[in-house]
Amino acid sequence: MNAPDPVEAALGVRPVPGTPRPFTFPAAARGRLSGGLALVTVNLPGRPLVSASLYLPNGAVDEPADEGGATVLAARALTEGTLHRDAVALTEAAERLGATLRAEAGWDATVVGVDVPAERLGPALELLAELVLEPAFPQREVERLRDQRLNDLLQAKVDPARRAEEAFVETIYAPGTPYARVAGGRRETVETLDAGILRRAYGRRGDPDRGALIVGGDLAGLDVAGLVEPFFGELAAGAAASAGLPVVEDGLDRTRVRLVHRPRAVQSELRVGHLGLPRLSPDYHAVSVMAMILGGLFNSRLNMKLREEKGYTYGAGAGFDFRRFAGPFSARAAVNIDATVPALTDLLAELRRIREAAPSDAEMRAARDYLVGVFPLRFETPGPIVAALGGLVTFGLPADELDRYRPAVDAVTAGDVLTAARTHLHLERLAVIVVGDADVVGADLEKAGIGDVEVVREPEPLAEEA
Amino acid sequence: MTVPTVRYTDERLPNGLRLVISEDHLVPVVAVNIWYDVGSKHEQPGKTGFAHLFEHVMFQGSRHVAKTEHFALVQAAGGSLNGSTWLDRTNYFETLPSHQLELALWLEADRMGTLLEALSQENLDNQRAVVKNEKRSSYDNQPYGTWQEKLLGHLYPEDHPYHHPTIGSMEDLDAASLEDVAAFFRTYYAPNNAVLSIVGDVDPVQARAWVDRYFGPLAANPAIPAFHAEPLPLTLGGEQRETVPDRVPLPRIYVGYRAPTLGDRRLYALEIAAQVLAGGKGSRLHRRLVRDAQIAQDVAMFGLGFASGPSVFMGWATVRPDATVEAVETALFDELARIGIDPISDDELDRAKALIETDELAGLQRVGERADRLSMYATLFDDPGEINLQLERYLAVTPEDVRAACAEFLVADNRVVLTYVPADAAVESTEAA
Repeated sequence: MNAPDPVEAALGVRPVPGTPRPFTFPAAARGRLSGGLALVTVNLPGRPLVSASLYLPNGAVDEPADEGGATVLAARALTEGTLHRDAVALTEAAERLGATLRAEAGWDATVVGVDVPAERLGPALELLAELVLEPAFPQREVERLRDQRLNDLLQAKVDPARRAEEAFVETIYAPGTPYARVAGGRRETVETLDAGILRRAYGRRGDPDRGALIVGGDLAGLDVAGLVEPFFGELAAGAAASAGLPVVEDGLDRTRVRLVHRPRAVQSELRVGHLGLPRLSPDYHAVSVMAMILGGLFNSRLNMKLREEKGYTYGAGAGFDFRRFAGPFSARAAVNIDATVPALTDLLAELRRIREAAPSDAEMRAARDYLVGVFPLRFETPGPIVAALGGLVTFGLPADELDRYRPAVDAVTAGDVLTAARTHLHLERLAVIVVGDADVVGADLEKAGIGDVEVVREPEPLAEEA
Repeated sequence: MTVPTVRYTDERLPNGLRLVISEDHLVPVVAVNIWYDVGSKHEQPGKTGFAHLFEHVMFQGSRHVAKTEHFALVQAAGGSLNGSTWLDRTNYFETLPSHQLELALWLEADRMGTLLEALSQENLDNQRAVVKNEKRSSYDNQPYGTWQEKLLGHLYPEDHPYHHPTIGSMEDLDAASLEDVAAFFRTYYAPNNAVLSIVGDVDPVQARAWVDRYFGPLAANPAIPAFHAEPLPLTLGGEQRETVPDRVPLPRIYVGYRAPTLGDRRLYALEIAAQVLAGGKGSRLHRRLVRDAQIAQDVAMFGLGFASGPSVFMGWATVRPDATVEAVETALFDELARIGIDPISDDELDRAKALIETDELAGLQRVGERADRLSMYATLFDDPGEINLQLERYLAVTPEDVRAACAEFLVADNRVVLTYVPADAAVESTEAA
């Protein structure tokens, strides 16, 4: 009789999960400062590095098209000097506290914040208040930031992923509408930005209910409200902007294939998609599960087909960028140049397939279990907890949204996913962007019959043009 | 401020597997992290890129796990995971809700013990194609994408294990065979060549029982070859330069120096120097090149610490369109020389230390990062306890230490200079027409 194999005896039976320890999103306390600004605090015992972020309702989506890029640049300029100190003095003051000041704007909001050990939270918030309330927008620094952004745009032209992104958004959105450009703006408008425009962009506050100061970390023994009142108490929550809401418009009425020529490229960078839907869509959870199955999980349909079966790419994915208004849906991969048309064909087939039949039980379980199960991992530390609370403010979501998230995902059915795919994936009007060598892939791409192929050949983005 | 001490246990299974456990019950998550003491430095001539290709094969299944099922099971458990290959090591890691710890241990044990039983030519060929596309995406099709290969190529002689980057060459990737995979696995993927760290919401008694059960029966390799690299001087002994035409709009100067081996106190001094030189808007290079003279688009300086020979201290400056390469290079090298002449100010040192302290705090608050560092110090320093000594080592650095280290290493005859310049404009615009 053979001796039993000890390795088989040990590994032959798969373990079953234990009992989950309950996890709830940390409780937040909500109040208001005397000027009306919302204050949200989350006490996280054992987290001595405190994260504080001020969410201001200034998003790039709110700026006029001819000032594209002003909001992003204005946020960057906040750390470039105040009425009392220049940028170097400001940075040095923060560094002495072991703190890093951040100020960034995106499509939906401007976020100014600091991460600092709890015992130095007071002086760090004082610095934060200085750059929020008394920014100087110094002419020289503004011009330098503007020139750096222009140089960055030059560099984006030769970065395949950034070039594809730029071509993609200008194809799926109607010209002149907000999301048709990257949030940092295009050359034509960035060139015209100056300190006055930046000051105006920073002062352009939208709905005051979309602003809040959020502080998370080990706040034991700290009176946060008392600490921030002297600095931010007078920050008026602001009046709602009188201008109407920005209008995001679909730029596609049919499928358009755009081939951006990149001489001697060894890969084609692919983007396929169209305008998606806003964060407040009632289909948010069903669409999230659908996107996981299509291109979110490692074992998503796109990654399994293009990477694990065909070896065309290092990774393929798809997803919706949820913003206040309808952000993009895109499927993406960088594929070896010989595989350009076969990879596009497979990618389009997967977009069709997810609209044809409900996903399998196994796929549904994988996607739901991931989204539900990964929830505690997402909120291990103060930074992501503060950011999630900031998202509620930015999007105008109810305070219990994060508590309702897991039950809502769990309730999504295979039928809901099929409906979401049929409702929100539009195969008759897709943008198909290929950044690759047009001399190598152009003819095959024409023959593939995906749609009319427009070849974009640009002069080299040489430094002399700047 | 004090950075909390990481408490841990450190033990070995009879088969040589080193097990480090550190409890932290703040959040119901747990990290599992394995370092194998094998990296691209162990690759034989003609087999560059193999350690990394092998890392991909580790996700292609084992006796009880199907191809890609490792990813599927961990993600369905609500976990995040990956693996990575570096010159000195290969690591594999999962962070999961804590009640799923046993799954991760079983998965890691199954592939440590039985990988070859699922190995097929088809899977190897598939991952070879994937890795070649990773090389295209991350290096060949990227602006300035060849800098790593060129910098290592100049800093280490051709027969040195650090001469080539982890991604390897297309030719060598093409040459990798099933026999190579099997031999590599049998040699290096043994319990006595690995450190397993478990950090987070864990019951150590239960975890130890699972580790004994799943890893205990796996056989050690009594004949792991000792790693040997010919000792190299810590400095280069002469400047090396290369001009690289590339499809880039802005020139960029990369500079790399040989630096002390990991663990050498001079390396801590150089990391403080990196912070003073280019860490943020208050730094010397940022002030001089980006803000004042406005000749550089960006600057960077950092160290890459290696365990088996000289490390690398490196950085770059991107040249603005209205400036010359010469002006940027002159200012860059002037600052790199100056920091070796006059000691940095106490204020510069204090600011650098305050930021490093916050970075330690930020890094150590995540269980995944803590597990990776425990595995690293156990593998490279034979002491996971190094995790608690790092901050002291930085705080012990004096202005004179920084000056002396910079004077010794940041010198012209210890440097490699790569100058990326826009490729011939005339040729390009003809093609574009």
